[in-house]
Amino acid sequence: MKKLLLASACAAMSVTAAQADIKVGVLHSTTGTMAISETTLRDVMLMLIEQQNAAGGLLGEQLVPVVVDGASDWPTFAERTRELLTVEEVDVIFCCWTSTSRKAILPVVEELGGIVFYPVQYEGEESSLNVFYTGAAPNQQAIPAVDYFLEELGVESFALLGTDYVYPRTTNRILEQYLLDAGIPQENIFVNYTPFGHSDWSSIVADVVALGETGAQVGVISTINGDANVGFYNELIAQGVTADDIPVVAFSVGEEELSGLDTEPLVGHLAAWNYFMSADTPENEAFIAAWHEFTGDDTRVTNDPMEAHYIGFQMWVAAVEAAGTTEPDAVRAAMYGLQVPNLTGGMAEMLPNHHLTKPVLIGEIRADGQFDIISQTDPVPGDAWTDFLPESSVLVSNWPGLGCGMYNTETETCVQLQSNY
Amino acid sequence: MTRTALAALVGVFLALAAPLQAPAQSQPAADLQTLLQDNAELVADASRRTVQDILDILVDSQLPEVPQFLATWQDRELYQRNSDGLFVYVEDGDADPLTLIDISTGEVLGTAGSRDVTQLRPNRGVQGVIAATRVQFQLASDDPARRMAALDSIESDPEESHLALLQGLLDTETDPDLRARIEVILPALVIAFSDEDAPRVAAIESLSGNISLSARATLNPLLATRLELAEALPDGANIARELEPGSDALSREDAYEMLVEEGLAPPRVSRSDILSVLTANIVDGTVGGIPVAELNTEEARDRAYAALVAADLAPPAPSEADVTASLGSVVFFERYLEDSAAVTTAARETLDGIETRVGFYRFLDLSLDGISLASIYFLAAIGLAITFGVMGVINMAHGEFIMIGAYTGFVVQSLVPNETASLAIAIPLAFVVTFMAGVAMERLVIRWLYHRPLETLLATFGISIALQQIVRLVFGALTQPLTPPDWLAGSVTLNDVVSISSVRVAIFILAALFFVVLWLILNRTRLGLEVRAVTQNPAMAASMGINPDRINMLTFGLGSGIAGIAGVAIGLFAQVVPDMGTNYIVQSFMTVVVGGVGNIFGTLVGASMIGGLQKAIEWLNPTNTLAAQTYMILFVILFIQFRPRGIIALRGRAAGD
Amino acid sequence: MGNSIFVRNRSVPIFIAVLALVALCVTFLSPAYGTGALSVSFTKVLGMTLCLCLAALAMDLVWGYCGILSLGHFAFFGLGGYMIGMWLMTARTEAVIRANLAESPIPPTEAEVSQATALQIFSVVGAEDWPWMWAVSDSLVLSLVMVVLVPGLLALVFGWLAFRSRVTGVYLSILTQAMTLALSLYLFQNDTGLRGNNGLSGLQNIPGAEAIGQERLSVWFFWASALALGLGYIGAAWLVSGKFGNILRGIRDDELRVRFLGYPVEVYKLVVFTLSAMICGVAGALYYPQAGIINPDEIAPIASIYLAVWVAIGGRGRLYGAVIGAAVVSLLSTYFTSGRAPDVDLGFYEISWIDWWPVLLGLGFVLVTLFAPRGLAGLFDYVVRRQDP
Repeated sequence: MKKLLLASACAAMSVTAAQADIKVGVLHSTTGTMAISETTLRDVMLMLIEQQNAAGGLLGEQLVPVVVDGASDWPTFAERTRELLTVEEVDVIFCCWTSTSRKAILPVVEELGGIVFYPVQYEGEESSLNVFYTGAAPNQQAIPAVDYFLEELGVESFALLGTDYVYPRTTNRILEQYLLDAGIPQENIFVNYTPFGHSDWSSIVADVVALGETGAQVGVISTINGDANVGFYNELIAQGVTADDIPVVAFSVGEEELSGLDTEPLVGHLAAWNYFMSADTPENEAFIAAWHEFTGDDTRVTNDPMEAHYIGFQMWVAAVEAAGTTEPDAVRAAMYGLQVPNLTGGMAEMLPNHHLTKPVLIGEIRADGQFDIISQTDPVPGDAWTDFLPESSVLVSNWPGLGCGMYNTETETCVQLQSNY
Repeated sequence: MTRTALAALVGVFLALAAPLQAPAQSQPAADLQTLLQDNAELVADASRRTVQDILDILVDSQLPEVPQFLATWQDRELYQRNSDGLFVYVEDGDADPLTLIDISTGEVLGTAGSRDVTQLRPNRGVQGVIAATRVQFQLASDDPARRMAALDSIESDPEESHLALLQGLLDTETDPDLRARIEVILPALVIAFSDEDAPRVAAIESLSGNISLSARATLNPLLATRLELAEALPDGANIARELEPGSDALSREDAYEMLVEEGLAPPRVSRSDILSVLTANIVDGTVGGIPVAELNTEEARDRAYAALVAADLAPPAPSEADVTASLGSVVFFERYLEDSAAVTTAARETLDGIETRVGFYRFLDLSLDGISLASIYFLAAIGLAITFGVMGVINMAHGEFIMIGAYTGFVVQSLVPNETASLAIAIPLAFVVTFMAGVAMERLVIRWLYHRPLETLLATFGISIALQQIVRLVFGALTQPLTPPDWLAGSVTLNDVVSISSVRVAIFILAALFFVVLWLILNRTRLGLEVRAVTQNPAMAASMGINPDRINMLTFGLGSGIAGIAGVAIGLFAQVVPDMGTNYIVQSFMTVVVGGVGNIFGTLVGASMIGGLQKAIEWLNPTNTLAAQTYMILFVILFIQFRPRGIIALRGRAAGD
Repeated sequence: MGNSIFVRNRSVPIFIAVLALVALCVTFLSPAYGTGALSVSFTKVLGMTLCLCLAALAMDLVWGYCGILSLGHFAFFGLGGYMIGMWLMTARTEAVIRANLAESPIPPTEAEVSQATALQIFSVVGAEDWPWMWAVSDSLVLSLVMVVLVPGLLALVFGWLAFRSRVTGVYLSILTQAMTLALSLYLFQNDTGLRGNNGLSGLQNIPGAEAIGQERLSVWFFWASALALGLGYIGAAWLVSGKFGNILRGIRDDELRVRFLGYPVEVYKLVVFTLSAMICGVAGALYYPQAGIINPDEIAPIASIYLAVWVAIGGRGRLYGAVIGAAVVSLLSTYFTSGRAPDVDLGFYEISWIDWWPVLLGLGFVLVTLFAPRGLAGLFDYVVRRQDP
């Protein structure tokens, strides 16, 4: 029985005969809890590859997508990455959503020397030679949003609500320090963490409302993840909290998350991203049209991580064309300083620390589930190591210049070449 | 904006312009567009901090079209033409191309594509400042609704200038609603902006016993303090309290830190300071005569540092005695930012009274939350109380019945747009759908396994993952909206502290209803009697003429159907996703087991205990909800060790084994 | 060897022979020591599968032989992984830190090394001090002891409480499920010391073995897993074949009667429960260095339910049944979710295995419980019995 199974498995493995095509690995969860977010990213990658092939492929060859399922399980992500790099021998991987899945694949790609594009806003404090971070670092999303609260809305009392995992934890730690530096006293910062999928928001919202008793304007910074937002916003609506009373700025709520909500009562609450579907540019219009055509559904929304994959893919294509090969080291060398247009009317540049320059957009929720862009900055360079935590303020990442992703500027040494997973 | 609305607005501003008193001096009236173009940046990139400048210019200009301009700007209906920076209105923001309209004359200027103009979207902060500026125009309006709108702006964003305006209005206002509103708002403005103590104290005392959030928000800032130090307590200062270094309110380290910042004491020398001093003083591979290689212990580093201090190459570290002496030489105290002692004393007393009452209401609110959580647990578990508690079937797919109920609600809602009607259809339909699913499952799978309870667990678990995936394939993995009707969307509010959302009240009522109905069915009907007979002794029941197959089928269907209704209710406040059932399954089993199987009263008690306990732990540690859940489960595990049959244990034959 | 377990239980020599054959096969097909027909990742999958088989074996001991359906066994498996993971992380990070600090002008103190290591490991959760449970993480030997000790201790305490108050059957299952849920929620918390939701990662990089490379390490771990499974099988077979095994089966079939015969039922249950937890701990400690990452998701209740399902599908109450169940189901799952299975085009609808596999799996459980209560191993009996007469 077992031997038979083994034989059939071996047969399955050896199908991968050498082909001339360029292979693009797409590693997202299409089953399990993360499928809710990641399936869209898989689809957008398939669309981009299809577009590229229709436009004549790359280096005269066709791109072949190799789609595998991470199954929302982190060891599976690591295993599938190894498979993509050694068995399928893909030339690049577009991967992941959660930080944990990224941390799971890091040792593997660093060992095998692949190139990975990671499209989601994340907590920073990392720079791997093998990963290009096309999502926002904290200084490209969280800090500008807090500045907006401080400067424009005059918020003096902050409720930092988040789901209990690394992205909210690290972001809130950075923000807490940032707020203290900005003169907000510790007692005006309320922090709360809830589990994934939390639905009992009644007391937490009541606690937030009660913060207003000091007479300070209260604002909520939400790093609440995924479907827990449904319960949270429903409770805000139920308790009659409007954006005028207590504005909420969310870092994980985009067009897709809003589609599960009745947005009418949420008008005016905010989200900070690097892209909104409502951006009025020709590039975006074409992207949305292509997406609707690809999915055959013109009610499908686009969101920020999709734009990140779009930029990442265009950038990889440009780098491969510049390098004339898909060989990772050559492509990486060609990536630095490369500029491609983003979808909001600017240019995204790849920095030596493997992060992008991205504009920070702040949007207000509209009744139709889209966002009114009320503020758009010039492109901000992504910062791998935050300046607001003492231990990481001394660190910089500069791969082409220093050959190090975790360089201590005080002792002038490279702390480690591998990333900190 | 439509043409008619625009016309109406134009009419209104003409009407508005009349009551504006023309001031003595009159500048050469520049035209509005010129004024704006001179400050184009302030308008186009308006910021809360700078927008006041341009608003002052506009108000000072006395131009009649300013009020309408401000209204349009605030409503985000102002556009700027990209080619020449001209500020324009447009006829209809959704039209393509847009029809541009001159801001002063109302003439049509031509058309433009959506990318040829920029829609100016002042943010909420800027909108607030504009609204505060518009107050003076609105208060002078003849329309009570506009005056009321002005009062709203004042309440949310009070300014010093509003105090006089409001006091003036109180003398002339005749509308009783508006007067009442002014009297609510005025104390806050008096307290914040009045120059004299007596009216402020009176205003503070008028808030006595008022537990509203705005009253507390008015009083609390008066009691704000600043930590200071001095050689002796300053005379005449409004001092809140003196602080002792080393107490809970002020740690020794923080106090010394303050001294250092004031330059009154030398800084402490930390381990890393020592290291950097040593590093800076490496001479020929030694520091203070000690070879560098030996400096890998703290003791050696201390010696090297002492040598450097002796050689005057490093500052001496203050000893503990030095620190104590420095701290003893000054006093630390908190000083009120508010200078008037009479005001702070009155505020303190009033607030103390308020806070006692708030504390009581907080407890009430928390208890309501606990009851609400308990009723949610009860609702999720009650179906299980029947299938597991009464019949002994371990149905791992119970959570999926809840999920199917919620999806039934979603499907009905997408077919029937009226939310009340769709809810009225969804509840019975959810019951029917899950009843059928339950019956099908009982007939096809469970009835073969009555003598193998643990294997029921595995089979139903298989059904559970299959159902989840099927729903995911059919509806997609995204969260689906299940919107409560308007009459359930708000909350039941007693005051600013105690409020509970209507959906939760409805769930409580539903849970209570289920409890009563099921209790009656099980204890007062023929069916209930037969159910109890079949579960206690199927063979005997069969010989008494009861058909156990039929009874099992109906009972299981009933339990499943109730889970379906629970799903609709849960979907109204929480997310509807394919795996929502997994959030409830373990909790539901624990509820039933803790309460004691075999009777739904036990489930009620179990749900109350679990819900209440979780809220209590959350209250102890409000920053971490996860910890509350963890400790609640640990408590349940321990509890079952000491009461293995649950709180309400059946005795005698009813207990089965 | 007259009365040895190899003779008394015919399945033992067969199983060991098959296992050895598989190990040989894998070695000769491995990229490091053979033709390279097997990829490193698939070698790892096979090694991990053997660990899961070992856990299933442990599960079968308590459920198949003693009737205790534990729905929390993956908690022990995960704890074993966490125990070895702490050492792997500490040792690996400390090496990096030492190399970095060696470049500083003044040599670091031990306290500085330890502090910097802690900062490196825990900065991801915003902490910089060693939590108490990392006390022995710098010693491989003590960590290995913890691998069996901690799961064993948890099982001992939990079992003592539960068996003492005679929580049995379904109630015990629900209670064990609550236990693993509580443990995973506890670990999910950021500040409980095991890096919260991040878990421990990079575990495949074995400190001191960086130069060896994953190609060889994967085979070594496969061997270690095979060895552990073989020893576990022999040990389990020995345990269930003697008087002890008879009493266990007695408890499974009629606990009350065994108690009335004067046997201390609680002690027997406690011993087998604790032993089984320890085996799970060992399996976990071998599994996670191959998987590379462990986090609290791993010990969510559903994982333990799957473990029970594997045993049920394989056929409980026989050791090889558990192993077959775990191997078949987990390998099939890997195959179908990897996207390698060809989609089936029905003309009007295309069945994608990635999407439909969970449905199939779920219905498979139902069918097996309904029609093959003895599991896949039961099919063997059927075949054997037909040939015998």
